[in-house]
Amino acid sequence: MPGKVVYKKTPKPRFLDAITGNLGAILIGLKYFANPNRLTMKYPYEYPQLRSNYRGFIVLDMKKCIGCMSCARICPAAAMKMVKVEVEKAGKKKQMPFPVINYNRCIFCGFCVDVCPTEALYHIPVHDVVYTNMEDMVLDLEKFQEKVESPSVKEGVPVRYLFDPDKGLVKVPIKEGGGEE
Amino acid sequence: MLVDIITWPPLFQLVIAPGLVAALVIVIFILWFERKTAARVQMRIGPYHVSPRIGGGLQLIADLVRYSFQEIIIPKAADKPIFIGAPLAALVISLLPVVAMPFTTVPKYYPIPMDYSLLIAVALSTLSPIFIIAAGWASNNKFSIIGGLREAFVITAYELLIVITALAGGVAVLSYNLTDIVVAQKPFYKWILFTNPIAALTMFAAILMATSGFPFEIPEAENEIVAGAYTEYSGLMYGINMGAAYIKRFAYSLLFTLIFLGGWLPYEPSSGLIHGYLIPLVIVLVKSTIVMAIMSFLRAVYGRFRIDQALDGAWRIFIPLALIGFGIALIEAYLGVYA
Repeated sequence: MPGKVVYKKTPKPRFLDAITGNLGAILIGLKYFANPNRLTMKYPYEYPQLRSNYRGFIVLDMKKCIGCMSCARICPAAAMKMVKVEVEKAGKKKQMPFPVINYNRCIFCGFCVDVCPTEALYHIPVHDVVYTNMEDMVLDLEKFQEKVESPSVKEGVPVRYLFDPDKGLVKVPIKEGGGEE
Repeated sequence: MLVDIITWPPLFQLVIAPGLVAALVIVIFILWFERKTAARVQMRIGPYHVSPRIGGGLQLIADLVRYSFQEIIIPKAADKPIFIGAPLAALVISLLPVVAMPFTTVPKYYPIPMDYSLLIAVALSTLSPIFIIAAGWASNNKFSIIGGLREAFVITAYELLIVITALAGGVAVLSYNLTDIVVAQKPFYKWILFTNPIAALTMFAAILMATSGFPFEIPEAENEIVAGAYTEYSGLMYGINMGAAYIKRFAYSLLFTLIFLGGWLPYEPSSGLIHGYLIPLVIVLVKSTIVMAIMSFLRAVYGRFRIDQALDGAWRIFIPLALIGFGIALIEAYLGVYA
């Protein structure tokens, strides 16, 4: 059975609606003009406080890695590759594969982190790193183990958007101890 | 002697104040104010990084410098003389009504003989739209032609409104002399804004329409027809086009101030250059800047009307309102309110 068709009538505008509507709009405008609630993030001076599980840059913990190659296989953008490195394990020298990443290709899907059986790969809450050329974006094994630093974190103030029952969305700066002002 | 030459009213009013120089300063301030107000109401910050200490106050000057160093591109298909000439003519002619306005009661500082100055100011103010249409036509571009045609449509609606409402001020006082109109409003409560608010409101809306101010920004609707009649202009020519609309609005708000807001009142000009000419001039400038600021504030509140809505509003609502305002002025003249 198709649904019953109901025609909805828009109410006819009354005589005073034009005046009250215009006045109401202007009053709301004046309210915001007198007491503005600015949401703009002044980006390099303020930066968003990201949660710890943010899917940002990826770091390798070489001690945990067992060289299973799952990450390189699952990578949909073929950003991750394995390199063979000579390591000592149990007193024996042997060649073992380790992942390296190419951020030219990486789409930050996080599959490699999900699939890693020993949690050797993990995300850090950093997303705004600038490289000056494309070669720098191909990380080797040593660089892949370092935590990348965000340039805005060095000089900026962390902020967070919260819901305020009176004003709606508001921008709140976060103090260093972790509390909110 | 030199001061006499500089302050010779016809020259002084066209070139220095309230003409070209003062108009440019006020227009730059108003553009900045408009952007900042819209940003404030819409939860943004607006221009900021050019000069953070004064809230991006130099942004418009930076824009001006950028415009003046950009290349002026003239399309091959354009009609060159009209393409270049029309915006310049629009700019100059939109300043012309300023010459017909008195800013003092001292006859020595009248720019022209004053007996029919209101009629002359209104007549001169109706000249400039034809150049916008010409610019749109000369650009030879579909968006420009649509923009020019929209301007023509809007002209037919608003020009009558401005003439009727402006003359309502003159009819109430039974004089087309702007000085008489201002002097007649002497006590505060006798401003024509208070005795005839309908005419004032109608003229306010008509000025917004005439200068494509925000609820009626139809001829240059950005998301429909690029930039209307100004689509093909680049560099300084574009800046001139954008400034011309604001300078026209400035001239209209000077007229509005003189007719409805009591001009230089409550100050009374006495003899001498400063007390007789400059102080009343500054008072009128401040009042008309406030009028322009209110118009800019509306940008933050309203969305743009469609052209059919604006024309419908003009012919069905505002023209009857203007006629009611004119009728009120006639009744005032009959009762001798301003006698």
